[in-house]
Amino acid sequence: MIPIVTLTWKRLKKNKGALAGLITICIMSAMAIFAPWITPFEPTTQILEYSVKPAGFRGNILLKRNPANPDVPSVLAVSDFTISGDTVHYRDPSGEPYRIALKQLAGTSPDDWHHRPLFLLGTDRFGRDVFSRLIYGLRVSLTVGLIAQAIALLIGVTLGAFAGYFRGWVDDGVMWVVNVVWSFPALLLVIAFSVILGKGYWQTFVAIGMSSWVDIARIVRGQFFSIREAEYVEATRAFGFGAVRTILRHMLPNAAGPVIVLTTAGFATAIIAEASLSFIGLGVQPPMSSLGQMIKDGYGYIALGTNWGLTVFPAAAMAIAVIAVNLLGDGLRDALDPRTTQR
Amino acid sequence: MKFFQLLANALSLRQLLYTLAVLLGVVILTFFIRPPGDPVRVALGQHADSVSVANLQKQLGLDKPLAIQMLHYIGNLTVGDMGRSLVTGRPVAETIADRLPATALLATTSMLIATVLGIILGVWAAWRANSWLDTSLMGSSLLGISVPSFVVGLLFILVFSVILEWFPISGYIDRGWEYLTLPMITLAIRPLSVIARITRSSMLDVLGMDYVRTARAKGLSNVKVFFRHALRNALNPVVTTVSAWFAGLLAGTYFIEMVFNWPGIGLAAFNAIEKLDYPVIQGTVLITAVIFVITNLVTDIINALLDPKVRVR
Repeated sequence: MIPIVTLTWKRLKKNKGALAGLITICIMSAMAIFAPWITPFEPTTQILEYSVKPAGFRGNILLKRNPANPDVPSVLAVSDFTISGDTVHYRDPSGEPYRIALKQLAGTSPDDWHHRPLFLLGTDRFGRDVFSRLIYGLRVSLTVGLIAQAIALLIGVTLGAFAGYFRGWVDDGVMWVVNVVWSFPALLLVIAFSVILGKGYWQTFVAIGMSSWVDIARIVRGQFFSIREAEYVEATRAFGFGAVRTILRHMLPNAAGPVIVLTTAGFATAIIAEASLSFIGLGVQPPMSSLGQMIKDGYGYIALGTNWGLTVFPAAAMAIAVIAVNLLGDGLRDALDPRTTQR
Repeated sequence: MKFFQLLANALSLRQLLYTLAVLLGVVILTFFIRPPGDPVRVALGQHADSVSVANLQKQLGLDKPLAIQMLHYIGNLTVGDMGRSLVTGRPVAETIADRLPATALLATTSMLIATVLGIILGVWAAWRANSWLDTSLMGSSLLGISVPSFVVGLLFILVFSVILEWFPISGYIDRGWEYLTLPMITLAIRPLSVIARITRSSMLDVLGMDYVRTARAKGLSNVKVFFRHALRNALNPVVTTVSAWFAGLLAGTYFIEMVFNWPGIGLAAFNAIEKLDYPVIQGTVLITAVIFVITNLVTDIINALLDPKVRVR
C-alpha cells in the first residue's frame, strides 16, 4: 500500500497541472473552513441602502447594539456623523438627519462602532456583501461535493463489490438497477431526486449522491471480476475468510485506484450539479448562499447589461474550483495508471 | 437482405428483452417522481377546501394504494396517456408532442456541430501534439468541461447579445435563424470539449500502435498515415462518446431552454418544477430517458454493424 502512495505522489508531483489544482483546492478549502474569520460580513447581513454597489465600494457604517443577538450588531449606513454629549447625530446616505443615543451603539469608542468596510466584489440587490456570500457559497459547494461523493462511494462501492464478488442473480439485479439509473442523464436524475426529496440543504447532498454512484459501482464490479480469480483471493477462500473480510481487506484496496479517480471527477460534477439545482430553484434555499443561488439571484441583470459581476464572480469561483478538481483528477488518473510510463 | 441478416446478428432477442426490462425500471423510477407531502395540496394551495382536494385526489387516483397507482400509471403509458397537468389540466403527452420538436432541433444541431468541430479540433491537436496549439486547445476544452452550460449561456448573452448586440437575447427560431445560433453554440460547448479531448487521446493511442509504425516504415506520407490509417480506428471511442453525450445534451437543453426562453420540453419541465406540477415533470423526464435508452440501443447496433469482430460473414 505505502509504496503505491509514495509512487503516486512522486508521479503527481511532476505534473504541474495537477499540483496547481491541488494547491488551488487546498486554498479554497481553507477559505471555506475559515469563512467566518475571512469575511467582513455575515452572508445574510442586508444593508438595503447599499443595494447593487460596484466592486471596490467602500461603505460608511455605524454598528448598533442588537438585543436579540449581541454577537451580530445591526448595521446603519451613514454619510457622516457627529458626536455631541451622549448622542450621535448622523445623516443616512440620502442626507436625511437622524440621531441615536451613544449607549445604543455597539462598543465604547468610535473605533468600535464606526467602520468603513470594503465591499471587495460589491453588493447584491439586498445590499449583501458579494465577497462574503461568495466564500460562504464556496463552503456550501465544497461541502455538497464532499458529502455527495461520500454517499456515492458508499452506494457504489457496496453494490459494485457485491455484484462483482457474488455474481449470478446478485450481479443481474445490481446491473439492472445500474442500467435503469444509467438511462437518465445525470443532471436530470439529480432534478428528479430533488423533486422527490424536496428542497433543502441535506436533500441536495442525498439527491446528488444518489445520482452519481453508478460509475463507481460499474468500475468496482469490473475490477472485482478481473481479480476474483487471482491467486491471493483464492488463498483467502482457502483460509476460510468470510466474504466481507475478503472484500474489504483484500479486494477493495486493489480496486482503489480507478475509484479514487472517479470520485475526484464526481466531486467536480457534484459542484456543477449543486449550482444547476440552485439555479432552477431546487437545491439549497435562500437565505443560505450557494454559488448557484448567487448566479440565480444576479442573472436578471445580465439582460440589462449592468452589474454583471453578480453573475460572473460566483461563476468564476465555481469554474476555478471545478477546473482545479479536474486537473487533479487528470493527474491522479495518469499517476495511478500503471500503463503510463514517465514520458 | 444482407442488411437484415447483419441486423439480426447485431441485435439479439436477449438484448431487446433486456432493453424492455430497463425501460420498465425507468418507468417505475419515473412514477416515484413526486414532491413529498400531498401533491394535491401543493397544486391547489393551502386554502383549498377539503371537498375539492378529495375530488382531485380521486381523479388522480391518489386515494388508491401505491401499487395500484403504479399499475395504472404503467397501463396508461402503454396507450400513450401520461396524465394531465395539475396546473392547466392539459394532457402531458400533448404538451410534450408540442414541445419536442424545438428540443430536438436544438439538440441535434448542437450535437452535429459538437461532433464535427470536436473531431476536427481533436485531430488538429493530435497532429500538433505538445505544441502551443495543442496546449491551448486542450486548455480551452478543460474550461469548456468545467463551466456548466447555463453559465456559458449567460456569459454569451452578456457578450454577444448585450455588449456586441450580434444576436437576440432570447426567443424561438420562428422569428429567424439568428435565434438558434446562441443556444445552439452554448449547448455544443461541453460535448465539443469532451469529443475534442477523446479524439485527441484516442488518436495519440492509435498513433503509438505497431501497425501505424509499419505504415510509416513502408514509407507512406505522414498525411496518409494520419488520415487513412490512424483516424479510422481512432474514431471508435468517439462514436460511443457521441451517443453517451447525446443524453447529457438532452439534460443540458433543460437549462439552455430556460436561459434562452426556448420553448422545448426543458422549458416546460422548468415551469413545472417551479409549481411542482409533477405529472409534467414525470412526462418530460420519462421522454428524455426513453430517447436515451433508444439512442443507446441504436448505437450498440451501429457499433456491431461497423465492428468487423462482431460481424459474421
